[in-house]
Amino acid sequence: MAETEYTTTTPVAMETLWDFVKEMDHWAPFVTGYQHHEKQSETESTWTLKGDVGVLARTLTFRVRITEWNGPERVRFELEGVNEPMTGAGTFTLSRESGGGPAADAGSAPETAAVPAPAPHKGFFARLAERIARLLFRWRHGRVERPGALADATTPAGGDRILTRMTFHLRIDPGGPMAPMINAMVQPMLVPAAEQLAERILAAVEGRPAASENARSVQS
Amino acid sequence: MARAPSGFDLETDVVCCGSGLGAVSAAIAAADLGAEVVILEKAPKLGGVSAFGGGEVFVPANRQMRALGLEDSLEDGRRYFEFLAAGYGSRAHREKLLATLHEAIEYFEDRAGVRWKACQGLPDYYYPDAPGTRASGRYLSVELFPGESLGEWQHRTFLTPIMPMGALHEEMYEWGGLARVTTWNYELLGERITKDLRSFGPGMMGYFLKAALIDRGIPAHPSTPVRELLSDEHGRVVGVRAERDGERFSIRARKGVVVAIGGYDHNREMACMYENMPDWHGVFPDHLHGDHLVFGTEVGAAIASVPPTNLALFYGYHIPGEEAEGKPLYRSSWECGCPHAIWVNRDGRRFCDESFYKDYQPRIRHWDGRRQHQPNLDVFLIFDGNYRERYPLGSFMPGQPLPEGLALEADTPRELAEKLGIDADNFEATLERWNRHAARGEDPDFGKGHFPWSVRLCGDPDYPNPCVGPIDKPPFYGIKLVPVSVGINSHGLAWNLDAQVMHVRGHPIPGLYAVGNSAALLDLGGGYQSGTSNARAITWGYVAGRHAARS
Ligand SMILES: Cc1cc2nc3c(=O)[nH]c(=O)nc-3n(C[C@H](O)[C@H](O)[C@H](O)COP(=O)(O)OP(=O)(O)OC[C@H]3O[C@@H](n4cnc5c(N)ncnc54)[C@H](O)[C@@H]3O)c2cc1C
Repeated sequence: MAETEYTTTTPVAMETLWDFVKEMDHWAPFVTGYQHHEKQSETESTWTLKGDVGVLARTLTFRVRITEWNGPERVRFELEGVNEPMTGAGTFTLSRESGGGPAADAGSAPETAAVPAPAPHKGFFARLAERIARLLFRWRHGRVERPGALADATTPAGGDRILTRMTFHLRIDPGGPMAPMINAMVQPMLVPAAEQLAERILAAVEGRPAASENARSVQS
Repeated sequence: MARAPSGFDLETDVVCCGSGLGAVSAAIAAADLGAEVVILEKAPKLGGVSAFGGGEVFVPANRQMRALGLEDSLEDGRRYFEFLAAGYGSRAHREKLLATLHEAIEYFEDRAGVRWKACQGLPDYYYPDAPGTRASGRYLSVELFPGESLGEWQHRTFLTPIMPMGALHEEMYEWGGLARVTTWNYELLGERITKDLRSFGPGMMGYFLKAALIDRGIPAHPSTPVRELLSDEHGRVVGVRAERDGERFSIRARKGVVVAIGGYDHNREMACMYENMPDWHGVFPDHLHGDHLVFGTEVGAAIASVPPTNLALFYGYHIPGEEAEGKPLYRSSWECGCPHAIWVNRDGRRFCDESFYKDYQPRIRHWDGRRQHQPNLDVFLIFDGNYRERYPLGSFMPGQPLPEGLALEADTPRELAEKLGIDADNFEATLERWNRHAARGEDPDFGKGHFPWSVRLCGDPDYPNPCVGPIDKPPFYGIKLVPVSVGINSHGLAWNLDAQVMHVRGHPIPGLYAVGNSAALLDLGGGYQSGTSNARAITWGYVAGRHAARS
């Protein structure tokens, strides 16, 4: 079994994030090795990915079945290889937490500070840079951006910003005789894949280009 | 020819072009004699084909055999090398190779920490038929190499998707070989992969690269192809022009330039012309472009060759969706050595012992002079339900569905023949004859399973003839194969007994050396035996490095 859990936080409101992620077409291309996907129904889809274990890349097709749809808090899914003896399961959870103080919900707080709060009055160059980044991003991904992603960060009267905490958990169970070897090859790839997906989703909803290096808090 | 600039951008004693076995052996040997050395590599990772391959090194009468009490003699080794050469190449080169091989192999063991071990149970290709052969011990491989010890280079060296990562030869044999791949100890392999313990080519190159980069501090520059050789007014090669991030720069080599940049597998035009084949594919990622034949001839180097007929060409396939380093990966086909599998040509006929590539290679090139036609160039791998239940196909385990686009499938042999576009009547007759004899474990036509080497690699010990089984269980499958090369080519730079490159006018070019696959196979002649490629890269790399350092 290869497994990873990845948690990150964003100033984007939970509902805004959910609006984005509940539609898989929005983030599907952000999945590492994404080739294409097809929805069979509200709960079933087929995904084709290029699985890359460092020495070898291979095209893999998975059937994904959503087993719990409880947005914005939680989505659970199961997956099964079509051409590979492989099964797996995952969860995607969103929750609110207070940025300055202790975590607002179960689970431990990120080890390092999350994204710095956007400066209330940005200078001209900062605003210009942000605009350009948004334009570039829109052009690169060919999508219409929902306005005001960054402005969603809410600051309650007490001064503590409310952050949204996003957690992915993914487990892959290779089958067949080679399972222990595949595990060893897949495990090191899962963590960066989860990081990359989260980073790209957040970049999309925050309206900035995705950073190659993830500067956010990671618990995996 | 490019004249040396008045001022060089950088200066060193010896420039080693490439980072495979030949270049790194030369680098270590030169550095140990006090030379300042730099390694320039075109690929973004180090280790070359040498790291991508099997890492067997063929050394008759080696030290490890003696320790194990396995009898052998240099004289028998010599007889076998002469048999392999079949009268081609140069006897003087062969003599010097054999006279220096032990010195070089033991040098890298004693001075550079390469931990050789004998592959027990792996016979010479032609054992027992050819003179001077042995049943076991002549192939050296390495003990597991800890990748971690490469420090910053750990993830910038080639690993290989072709060989089972982390396994040792004897373990594979003990686990039953390729035919028993479902019962291998994958727990153990998983553990070794997690710890990055390397075997085969990656292990061997791990030891050599560690000795060069970590222990000796030799600087290496990946993604830095050498583009040109630079000479002075007397024709001496005095440096190279290389490229990094699109910028060209010159390096002066006070003592010599060692060219060890492999062959030309990825220069399709060159490969098809020199190898006399209409099609060509390389196993290694796309970095072998025959640059040595371009910049070598620019400074007057002569090209030499041996017949391409029976070197190390395989037939294989590309599994749709499989890539290495972002390019389609080609695999040589070993399936044909297992029971329940044969090859046929477009006429629907068998033409070779499919389990022994030394037999199939020359037959693929067979030329029917009456019809001005090469009937065996189109090769089809045929197998059946028996095969799929028992044996792997590439990286696909028995029973696992094959990816779309790899194999054609049919319920009857006739239907399969029609789908493949081969002669259906002949094909049915071929299968009928094969099955009749296979039931008794025989192949009276081509002797499949005759050589112990083939049996060791792909044989199934459960069968009376471990390489023969009937093809009679639907569905029937066929795959059109293509030529797949492992970097060992018939043409290269001409060189003398000091590994110096020869000028077309018959004298050595001062300051220029060629080793490994960049150097024509004058020492091997017209044949090949696994491990001789690495053996010659190490030996002549050692010779070139020392000669350059002393010049
Ligand atoms: C799957 C496989 C299994 C094999 N198994 C064995 C085996 O068991 N035993 C054996 O003896 N042989 C084996 N071989 C063959 C063997 O690996 C090679 O023949 C041998 O290692 C070649 O060594 P080399 O010194 O010529 O350099 P290579 O290892 O071929 O390296 C040449 C390097 O030069 C680089 N290069 C190319 N152009 C330039 C340029 N212009 N400037 C700078 N660098 C450049 C290339 O990127 C490459 O890294 C195998 C090969 C394969 C593919």
